[in-house]
Amino acid sequence: MDNTVFIVDDDASVRDSLGLLLGLRGYRTSLFADAAGFLGALRADWQGCLIVDIRMPGMNGLELQRELQSRGCALPVVIITGHGDVSSAREAFRADAIDFLEKPLDEAKLIKAIDESFRRQSVSLSTRQQQQAFSRRLDELTPREHEVMELVIAGRHNREIAAALGISPRTVEVHKARMMAKLDADNVPQLVRICLESGAS
Amino acid sequence: MRDQDNTLQHLPNQLSALAWTLAFIGLYVALDWASYVSPLHQLNVTPWNPAPALGLLFVIRRGGRATAALLLAVIASEILVRQVPGGLIVTVWLGVVLTTGYLVIALLLKRYFPDSGLFTSRRTLLPWSLIIILGSLANGLLFVSQLLVSGLLPRSDWGDAVMRFWIGDGVGIFVTMPLLWWLQDAAHRQAFGAVILRWETLAYSALTVLTLWIAFVPGAEANFRYFYVLFLPLVWAASRQGLAGAIFCVATLQFGMLLGGLLHDSPDISLFELQTRAFLLALVGFLIGTAVDEQRRSAAELRQSLRLAAAGEMAGALAHELNQPLTALAAYASACRQLLERGADDVQFREAIGKMTGEADRAANVVRRLRDFFRTGATQLEKIALTELVATASSPFVSQASAAAVDFRVGTIPAATINGDRLQLEVVLRNLLANAFEAVAEVQAKPRRVSFNAFVDEGCRLVIEVVDNGPGLTEALSEQVFEPFRSSKSSGLGLGLAISRAITEAHGGTLTANLSGQGHFRLVLPIEAQTARRKSSHG
Repeated sequence: MDNTVFIVDDDASVRDSLGLLLGLRGYRTSLFADAAGFLGALRADWQGCLIVDIRMPGMNGLELQRELQSRGCALPVVIITGHGDVSSAREAFRADAIDFLEKPLDEAKLIKAIDESFRRQSVSLSTRQQQQAFSRRLDELTPREHEVMELVIAGRHNREIAAALGISPRTVEVHKARMMAKLDADNVPQLVRICLESGAS
Repeated sequence: MRDQDNTLQHLPNQLSALAWTLAFIGLYVALDWASYVSPLHQLNVTPWNPAPALGLLFVIRRGGRATAALLLAVIASEILVRQVPGGLIVTVWLGVVLTTGYLVIALLLKRYFPDSGLFTSRRTLLPWSLIIILGSLANGLLFVSQLLVSGLLPRSDWGDAVMRFWIGDGVGIFVTMPLLWWLQDAAHRQAFGAVILRWETLAYSALTVLTLWIAFVPGAEANFRYFYVLFLPLVWAASRQGLAGAIFCVATLQFGMLLGGLLHDSPDISLFELQTRAFLLALVGFLIGTAVDEQRRSAAELRQSLRLAAAGEMAGALAHELNQPLTALAAYASACRQLLERGADDVQFREAIGKMTGEADRAANVVRRLRDFFRTGATQLEKIALTELVATASSPFVSQASAAAVDFRVGTIPAATINGDRLQLEVVLRNLLANAFEAVAEVQAKPRRVSFNAFVDEGCRLVIEVVDNGPGLTEALSEQVFEPFRSSKSSGLGLGLAISRAITEAHGGTLTANLSGQGHFRLVLPIEAQTARRKSSHG
């Protein structure tokens, strides 16, 4: 699915005008009058960014942001508000908001925030894909290969690994070569980097 | 030529100053003549001497250059009222002595009370009294010593003479100067009149006459023990009309007591004894009057700051509302630029521009509401028919009710009239209804209900109840909702209950939240007595 700008604002005119403007600038838009409507329609494969007003009847914008986080939804969020105070801005950024914009909105800042959202989403998408690929490959390792990998990352030499696992250094070398091949790593430093980036231990 | 022009230009000013001086001298002599009763040895020592009060005020207003006029007035009085006792030279010398004394008192008053020469609070009443009393005593000692030197007074009488001069001048100034101060020019007279020209003044003045009669007629047989009743009208006047009322009542009492003393001419009580009582009355009256004024001033300040707080809250709420149309306007304008750049057709343009006009109107409405609120900064009272008020306030909610599936019922509205500010009361009613509608919006399981009822209770007060079947308030929340900046609302009028309560209290009413497991607000307003009667005769 393409990137879409989702706008949640209880004010019909604000919604309509932003929809018109962003539509003319070539963005796909989807408009919602409140948080409940958005959550009701939310799909896991939605991509793009969410622009949400803080003050709304029912669930407010910050609550919606937290709700999305707890659901594991990675849609980047831009908060807009009529009266920005420090505490709500802080709350928004702590929950990883892309930007916190004050009404009336500055067009350039809004566009920048949307593009930043899209960029950050694609970055997070590619790292996530890498992570998924790595963990799939990690699953292919045998228990013994896994043990060898952990000791290699810990900086042990083949002889030390052999002593620790009670096998010959020659066998360690075989396990290590298979493990490196399965994980698609050319040398030890690269292996360490891949493991660190993916967060695997 | 030029000099002549200048002289001609200044001539009206000089003439006017001369006219004022002559008027002052004439008034001074007239006051002295009128108060020249039971003098000591045909001298300027009388039980009540109000003329110096006029002299002091004249010097305070005009400054040191009025000294000559005061001297002239004092000497003219001696000549016209007392036919020059002891020859012209002695009279002029005594005039110089007296004028010097008055000048010192006037300068002291001007120095310590630079604004007006009169006390305005309880704190300043004491120094003011001390200047008058001690100044009069010093002046008395000086004047009587000169009388002794000039041989106009027997040596044996000097103590009595000092006492009489002290009381006559001291009480005269003490009682009369505040009254003359209020009468000194058009602005002061208008302010004084605004307080005094009421039926109530007539009522306590009648009581003054009655208590004077009690003090002098039955009181004479009881050794003048009934003077304390004179405090009754004084306390009435001072507590209801503040210092202005006290000053007026004290002047009336002083005049009445002197008249009573003269008519009665009883050996049991001298005019000087009466004057000491008058002084005590004046002191108590001024104390109560200034206390009442101070209390009223602080109450007014509190009301003003409450109003400012309410206005601040309203401005905050309206700023938020102003932001919505401004956001839309800016976005539509940007959209128009996009349309222009891509050469869009007329229809799209027309549509976008039409929407912009709509948003501009919306913003203008918000501004108008803010302006209306500030216009009502001074509550404008008018007689409002309750039925009209309710119809205007509830009409937007009737259409909203059908849209939001709310069963909205307005009960029978009594034919009462409220004395209040139409706009502010509308704000209160709309706010209560908006709250109720917002509360029932959360109701899903049962039909949504909002009811509006009004009736007149036994105490001739109008009771308005707005009840909804929403979740209602908890005890902790019921007081909190009236505090500013507690609103949990996102949009709508957003005025908060704080402002509604401030408005209600400014109208002498109350606004409370009832804890009944549902939304229940109770607004009580005073209504006009005759409409309450009319209502009961209607059934």
